[in-house]
Amino acid sequence: MTELLEAAELEKLEEGRLRPAWPRGLPVLLVKTGGAVYALENRCAHMGCPLAAGSLDGYTLQCPCHDWRFDVRDGSFLNAPELRLRTYAVVIQDGKVFIKADL
Amino acid sequence: MKKVTIYALSTCLWCKKTKKYFEDRKVEFEAVDYDKQDEARQEEMMEEMRAAGGTGSFPFVKIGGASTQGYDPEEFEKLLHNK
Amino acid sequence: MSIQARKTALRFLFEPVIDKLGYKFTPAKEDADFLLEQEAIIEAETGIPYCPCQARTRDRAENMRMVCPCIPFHRAHYDAMRRCWCGLFVHKDVTDPDKLRQFPEAKMKK
Repeated sequence: MTELLEAAELEKLEEGRLRPAWPRGLPVLLVKTGGAVYALENRCAHMGCPLAAGSLDGYTLQCPCHDWRFDVRDGSFLNAPELRLRTYAVVIQDGKVFIKADL
Repeated sequence: MKKVTIYALSTCLWCKKTKKYFEDRKVEFEAVDYDKQDEARQEEMMEEMRAAGGTGSFPFVKIGGASTQGYDPEEFEKLLHNK
Repeated sequence: MSIQARKTALRFLFEPVIDKLGYKFTPAKEDADFLLEQEAIIEAETGIPYCPCQARTRDRAENMRMVCPCIPFHRAHYDAMRRCWCGLFVHKDVTDPDKLRQFPEAKMKK
C-alpha cells in the first residue's frame, strides 16, 4: 500500500545540502538541488553506507565510504546503470515534504 | 636461461598460481611481494609496471627483457622460448 | 567480527550487486573462499575490502576503483575476460572458470 509519509519541513532543507530523515523508521535521504527536492534511500547500493555523510555536486551524490556516485534525480549509479538507489516520489504540501512509500 | 622475476601480492591467488607454474617447470625465478615492500620500493615497482604499459594488477612477470601481466601460461611459454 | 563471519557478510553484500551486473561468484569454491578471506583480512586492516590482486597507491581515486566488487570500473575489460581480475566473480554463463584467460587491459584494446 502506498502511503504519504511526512519527512521534513521544507524550510529546513538547504539548497545543495544532504539531509537524513527517518519517516516511519525508513532511512531516507532528502536532497534539495536545482530548486527541486529529491528523496532516496539513505543507503549505498554498494555496501549499505549511509549516504547523508557523503557529498553533493549538482545532481551527483557521492558516497562517503568508497566514492560510488549516483544521480539524485533517478538514483542511478553513474558507472553502471543497472545499479541504483531506491527513490521516493516527493510531495510538498503546506510547507512540508512528504514521500510516497510502499509499505 | 632467461631471468624470471615475478611481482606479486601476498594476497593474490593468481600470483600463487604463477609461482607454482614456474616451480613445476623447474624455472628459477625471483619473487617480490609488492605489499611487503616499503613505500619507496612500491612506487618504483609501480612506475616500472606502468612504463611497461601495465596497470597495478598482479601478477606482473618479467621474462628476459619482456614482461606480461596476469596468469597466462601461453604467454609465459612464448616469452620463455622467444629468441 | 571474526574473519569467517565477515566472509559470509561480504558474500551476502556483494551477491545482489554482482547479480545485477551479470556476474556470479566463481564456481571454483576453494578459489572463492581464498579470495573472500583475503578481502576480509584486508578490510580488517584497512577498513575497506580492496581487491586482493591489485596494488593500492597513495591516490584515493585510484584505490576506490579497486574496492570489491570493482566490476563497474573495469567493465569492458572484465566482460572481455568474462571474469573480474582476481577471479572472485565470473560471468553468469561460465561453468569452468579455469578455462578463462587472465589478460591485461592493454591487450584487450589491440
